[in-house]
Amino acid sequence: MLIFKCFYKRVIAERIEYLLKRVFMIKKILIVDDSPISIKIIKSCIPKDKDYELFDAADGQIGVEKYRELKPDLTFLDLTMPVMNGFQALEEILKFDQRAMVIILTADVQIKAIAKAHDLGAFSVLKKPPAKESVAAAIKEAEDALTERG
Amino acid sequence: MPDNFNAKEKITVEETDLLQEIMNIAFGRAASDLAELVDIFVVLNVPQIKLLKAFDLPAYINKEIMNYDKDRVSVVEQNFWGKFKGNAFLVFPPGTGKNIFYLFDGGDKSYESDHTHDMEKETFQEIGNILIGACVGKIAELLGDVTTYSPPRVVLETSLRGIVYDNLSDPDNMAIVLRTVFEFKEKNVNGYMFIFTRQESFAWLKTALHKFLEQYE
Repeated sequence: MLIFKCFYKRVIAERIEYLLKRVFMIKKILIVDDSPISIKIIKSCIPKDKDYELFDAADGQIGVEKYRELKPDLTFLDLTMPVMNGFQALEEILKFDQRAMVIILTADVQIKAIAKAHDLGAFSVLKKPPAKESVAAAIKEAEDALTERG
Repeated sequence: MPDNFNAKEKITVEETDLLQEIMNIAFGRAASDLAELVDIFVVLNVPQIKLLKAFDLPAYINKEIMNYDKDRVSVVEQNFWGKFKGNAFLVFPPGTGKNIFYLFDGGDKSYESDHTHDMEKETFQEIGNILIGACVGKIAELLGDVTTYSPPRVVLETSLRGIVYDNLSDPDNMAIVLRTVFEFKEKNVNGYMFIFTRQESFAWLKTALHKFLEQYE
C-alpha cells in the first residue's frame, strides 16, 4: 500500500512539474534567402495552423539587420547568397544573440559545409529542396529545444 | 529574337528564378559528390540564368571568362539527351591540369613524365563526369526527366571558340544558359560550368518548372 502511495505521489508531482513548465511557442520566423522563389517554397512548407508571423530577407546582410530588428524565435538561413553568405550571417547573428535558433536550409550539402554550419552554432541543417514534413519536424524540434532551454 | 521563336517560349522572371534555384541545388549535389571522392571543399556561388541567341553564346562565354587566357583554357564538354537536352562545359584557366591531377593523385609527384598530359586529361574527364553528370542528372531528376550522356570530351590548353561553335546546331535558335562559378578552396583551382539547353526543350522546361512548383501549392 505504502509503495503505491509513494508511486502515485511521484506521478502527480511529475505531472504538476510538467504542467508548470512553460512550453515555448515559436511565433516569429525569419527566412533569409536570395531567391524569391525559394522563400515562397519555404513559406509554403511552414504549417499554416500555427499562425506564425513570417518575415524574409534577400541576403545575409539584410538577414542580420532584420534579425536585430525583429528578434525572431526561429531563423531559416541559406548559405549561398550574395553580399554576405550564410556562414558569415550565422556568425553575426550568434554574435548578437548567443541563443539564436538558426536552421540552415541549403543546397550546399557537402559534409564540410554541414559540419562548419554546426560548428558555428546552427541548430540543424536541412537540404534543399525542402519537404513540408521535414520543415514541420525541424520547427517542432526547435520548439522542443527552446522549451528545454527554458 | 529569331522568327521561329514563340513568345510563349520566353521564360518569365519567376521561371528564371526557379531555374536558378534548381541549378543551385543541382550543383550543390554535384559538389558534394566530388568532395566525397577527393578531399576538397567546393566554394559555391549564386548561379546565373540567361536567355540568349545561340549565335551569341561564344561571345557571352568569352565575356564571362574574361580573367582567363582564352587561348589556353582547358575544357570538358559533354552532351546530354532527354526532354532536357543540351551541352555542358566545364572551363578551367591555364595551368589547372597539374593542380587538379595532384588532387586525385594524393600529391604524388612521381608521375612527372611524358604521361602527365594523359593523366591530366583523365583527371579532367573524371571531374567532368562527376560534376556535369551529377548536376545535369539532378536538374533532370527534379524536373521529372532522365538524361543520357555522351562520354566527356577533354581539350587541354586550347581556344574555347572552336569548341563552342562546334556545338551550335542552329545559331539562329535561342538557348538558355545556366552558369555557375566554383572554386576548390585552398587548392588553387577554379572554373566555370555552363549548361546550354536548346530551344526545342523550352516548352517542356516551362511545363516541368510549373509542375515542380505545384508540389508546394
